[in-house]
Amino acid sequence: MNSARAALILATFLGGIVAGVTIYAVTDKGAEANPYTSLPRAAEPAVTADVARALSTDDAKALSNQLDMEVLQQLQTAIEPLTDIRSMKFVGAVEKNGRTLAAYVAGGRTSDGTDVLVGFVLRVTGDQIVGVN
Amino acid sequence: MFGLNFIPPLVRTALAMLLVGGLMGYAGTAFTTTVIADSGILGGGGESSDAHKYMMALLKREADSLSQLRPAADVVSRALEQQNASQQAQDVKPLSVTYLGGSSSGRLSVHIYAVEIQAGSGQYQFFPLALTIVGGKVVRVE
Repeated sequence: MNSARAALILATFLGGIVAGVTIYAVTDKGAEANPYTSLPRAAEPAVTADVARALSTDDAKALSNQLDMEVLQQLQTAIEPLTDIRSMKFVGAVEKNGRTLAAYVAGGRTSDGTDVLVGFVLRVTGDQIVGVN
Repeated sequence: MFGLNFIPPLVRTALAMLLVGGLMGYAGTAFTTTVIADSGILGGGGESSDAHKYMMALLKREADSLSQLRPAADVVSRALEQQNASQQAQDVKPLSVTYLGGSSSGRLSVHIYAVEIQAGSGQYQFFPLALTIVGGKVVRVE
C-alpha cells in the first residue's frame, strides 16, 4: 500500500513537471522574429585583425602605424571608458557595396578598476580602416 | 484550514506534488530556454532577447517599448524620449538588420548589429549599433 502511495505521489509530481513544460511551450511567444532581411556574414578582414591584435597586446607603436590620427581618435572614443584592455573578441562582420563592418568586443578595466565590456566596430573600405563606431 | 480537511490526505499530497512539479517544470523550462538562447548553443548566434526587442522597438519607433527596456528614468526624460521618437523622420525605411554578435560577462553584455536604412530622400546609410545591456536593461547605445 505504501509503495503504491509513493508511486502515485511520484507520478503526480512527474505529471506536474510535464504539465509545466507543456504550459510554458504553449504560452511562450518567444522573441519576435526579425521582420527585416539579414546580410550574410563576412570573414574577419586582415586589416582589422591586425588592429585587434595590437589592441590586445597593448602595442601602441603598431596601432600608430596602422591607423591615421583621425581614426585613432575615433577608436579612443569608441573604447571609452576602457583603460586596460585584457581581452579582444571578433564577433562578426558584414559587407555591403564594398564597405565592411567588423565588430569587436573588448574586455578590461576602467581607470577605477571596474571590469567592463565595450563593443566597437571598424569600418573598412578597400582594405583600409576608414572609421570606428 | 480553508476546507482542505475535507480532502483526503492522499489527494491533498498528490495535488501539492502536481502543483510543485508544474511550477518546477514551468520555471525550469523558462530558465533553460533563456540560457540556451542567449548562449547561442542552438543557433541564433547568442542574440539576447532584450537586445532583439530593443532593436525592433528602435526601428519601429515604439517609444513605450524602448523606455521599458531602458533603466528607470524621470518623467521629463521619458517625455523627451517620446518627443524625439515622434519628431524622427517617419519615412526612414530599414532595409536590413543583421546581428553581428556579442559577448557577456556576468550581468553585463554587449550586442552589435549592422543596420541598413533608406531615407525618403533616397539617402542610404549602412551603420553599426552596439547595445550594452546590464541586468536586462539597455544602458548604452552607440
